[in-house]
Amino acid sequence: MKPFLRRLGGCAAVMLAVLVLNFFLFRIMPGDPLTGIVDPRFSPEAKAQLAAQWGLDRPMSEQFFVYIKEMLSFRFGLSMMTGTPVWDELKNRVPNTVALLLPAMLLSAALGTALGMHAALHRGSRSEKLVMLGGAVSFSFPSFFVQLLLLMCFAYLWPIFPLRGTTSIPPPKGAAAVLDYLWHLALPLFSLVILGFGGFALYIRNMMVKALGEDYVLMARARGLPARRVIWNHAFRGILPPVLTILLLSLPGVVSGAVITETVFSMNGVGRFLLEATNSHDYPAAGAAFFLLALLTVGCNLLADVCYVLVDPRVRREGVRE
Amino acid sequence: MGLMKKFIRILCAFSAISASCGVSAAAGGSFDIMSFSGPKARDLYYVITRDMDAALLSMSSGKIDVLSDIYRPVDVERLEASGSVNLSVASSYHGFFVTFNLRRFPWDQKELRQAAAMVIDRRRWVRDLFAGYCEPLLSFLPPVSNYSTRGGLPRFDAEEAKKLLSGAGWTWNRSGWLVAPDGRELPNTRILCPPSSVAATSTEIAELAAEAFRSIGIPAEAEPMDFQTLLSKVDIGDFDACTNAWSMSLDPDVLYSFYHSSMNVEGGSNQSGIGDPELDKALFDLRYAPDERSARDASERAQALLAELMPVIPIYSRYSISAASKAWDGIFSTDTSTSDNLLTLISMTPSDGSERPIYWNIPEEIRTLNPLVSSTAYDWTVLGTIYDTPLSTDPYTKEDIPWLAETWSITREGSGTALAFTFRKGLKWQDGYPLSAHDFAYTLQFIKDNLVPRFYDNVKDIDKIEVSPDGLTVKVYMKNTSYWHLHNIGGMIILPKHIMENVPDWRTWQPSNRPRTAADGTELTELIGTGPFVFRESRTGEYVHMTRSEHYFLNREAGQ
Repeated sequence: MKPFLRRLGGCAAVMLAVLVLNFFLFRIMPGDPLTGIVDPRFSPEAKAQLAAQWGLDRPMSEQFFVYIKEMLSFRFGLSMMTGTPVWDELKNRVPNTVALLLPAMLLSAALGTALGMHAALHRGSRSEKLVMLGGAVSFSFPSFFVQLLLLMCFAYLWPIFPLRGTTSIPPPKGAAAVLDYLWHLALPLFSLVILGFGGFALYIRNMMVKALGEDYVLMARARGLPARRVIWNHAFRGILPPVLTILLLSLPGVVSGAVITETVFSMNGVGRFLLEATNSHDYPAAGAAFFLLALLTVGCNLLADVCYVLVDPRVRREGVRE
Repeated sequence: MGLMKKFIRILCAFSAISASCGVSAAAGGSFDIMSFSGPKARDLYYVITRDMDAALLSMSSGKIDVLSDIYRPVDVERLEASGSVNLSVASSYHGFFVTFNLRRFPWDQKELRQAAAMVIDRRRWVRDLFAGYCEPLLSFLPPVSNYSTRGGLPRFDAEEAKKLLSGAGWTWNRSGWLVAPDGRELPNTRILCPPSSVAATSTEIAELAAEAFRSIGIPAEAEPMDFQTLLSKVDIGDFDACTNAWSMSLDPDVLYSFYHSSMNVEGGSNQSGIGDPELDKALFDLRYAPDERSARDASERAQALLAELMPVIPIYSRYSISAASKAWDGIFSTDTSTSDNLLTLISMTPSDGSERPIYWNIPEEIRTLNPLVSSTAYDWTVLGTIYDTPLSTDPYTKEDIPWLAETWSITREGSGTALAFTFRKGLKWQDGYPLSAHDFAYTLQFIKDNLVPRFYDNVKDIDKIEVSPDGLTVKVYMKNTSYWHLHNIGGMIILPKHIMENVPDWRTWQPSNRPRTAADGTELTELIGTGPFVFRESRTGEYVHMTRSEHYFLNREAGQ
């Protein structure tokens, strides 16, 4: 229990550092939030009015106090880009992003794991070469190219999928709306899976090849255990902790969004919002988004530690990994 | 040459569109807005497609009807080849410049700036970099402005540039670099520009300019950097030279913001730091010109002085290019206005006589539909179909034309100006309530009292506002004399008094989220104007749905 509490304390310290850095880094960065709002006809007085409207004319200490209050109360203030509460902006976008990226991540991981295992268990075969080649291609192709190609093929030349967005216009009603939503997600999801499975496949294959040559696997075989048990209960279980870590640390990415995918498929997600908030120095929006992402990352890290305890008996014996 | 031929074909296509648009308007003559009637289409969807390639596929497959902001030559050619769209091309408000920092040696030297301007081969650059899909910028104002004095800039002539420097006492050292008349050697000029990953042509132009400067002995190199860092450095005057692009306006008083010495302050737009008494006077005369004639004189004088002082070198201006589907009739464009305009929106009807929605593409998400704080061009694409102004601009001549105001006048009143706008009879808000001059007076007073930054400069000189007893005429008294007051006030949107009186905080007001019942019981929102389309629904990042306003003043079928 004590190491766990110590770990929790460490997480709180990290969050505090993020909170402070989040405020100062954005303000130290070159540029200011007004640049994207004003045009050359704005007089210096009008610019001053605009700065006052957003509280940018107040002393830094006062701005910091307001910022801390907004963050800790999870209100996050108003977005300078849209004038609406940042929480509402994120609430609008997170479902789309998660609905796309979570299944994409899980499907990529499942497909990658299946193919990686197959390749590792069929070393030297044609199918292993195919998995290696497919994995390398999937891993190395630029996403915008693949996605535009898919759009061209399956939404334009052979139009079985829509060209843009997450809904038809005008949107259908009732159950048809759900099907319409899934139809709109299909092509972006497919693109992310074919772009994402390769990394998993190569990683799993390499880890399994290494694990299958380990002494403890040889020992299990020598004990006459069935091949299936040797593979899944011994070899695969041995590589599970790092795989779990990768999966859990990918989770914040599921919320932070995929800028290129959102752009190509005109999807309303967190990625574009975060990019635009950062580029336009929208302090409340960017601050809130990075704060929440940091919170999620720290949370996932903690969860990874817990999972380590569950899947690795050595960690259970030695206490929580430091 | 092949590309130029293609471009000429596009221009021909554009002329054909203008000629066949089927709306009555006398080119070059008096333009009568009352010859228009509409909107014809019942539904309008502003569709958000962020990726240009995806938008082009949508356009080619008939999923969208109007596409704006086409700027890549390859896209123009693809659309032209598709055969399903009409392209329109027009001069725009865009201007790209190389700006010098006159606060520092050597760019505080007038002869050096003049010589530098003479080695800019802008025609070749435009041809090589943009395949002819831009025009060389020959003035300090955008080509579309009636006040632009084209041709005042020095001609491209490197030998003449050297002669000019030599005549002013400049010499060259053994390495071929210039030496100032007082013996100072020139430091290396770094031309700040965005990185090529952000704006490839800007970086290329900075490289070309540096090369051109070096050809006459000015040590120079392009320095690409993060765009925000660039802006910060330019804002505090920490630069030698930089590239920058502006979207300007029809009125020439924008020159005051860019080049008057009073704007060489923190938050001002005088980036070059120029401060010349004669130029200041011409710009002051321009900003506070009592009438159109004096404004034109002062504008010409200011541009002539700028061509001599050369704080910036104009390089090029982008054409505005848009595409409209051939499946629609009533597409309206002129040589100064592309087809993505309000008159097209009003006149569009499906060629096959069917009833179907208009799908109009927007490349960015709508950020806010609060007209008091909204700042992006895309927000205003939507808001521009909801809110109207007293005056508008002739799409052919760019002169003022009546819009909601049927007549107007501008007169001198002592040391000030009096503007009078008389509104059309029978105008109604989209919720069915009548519009009167009181609404306009309330809008101006609201903006002035609340110091609304976006419109602050338009109304800050208002002294008092009076409304005639019949509620049709509003008279606005300005504290000083300026011809531009007419455009600053006459170009203001009109907000409904009966709604604005109940807005709790204009800064956080989200009119599209606040329901409101119209006079006939229809459920609308507080996003109520007098424009041709009524706001119905917005889905963030997806679309904005609008329907035809039955109360629009040009909607004669509905009895207006």
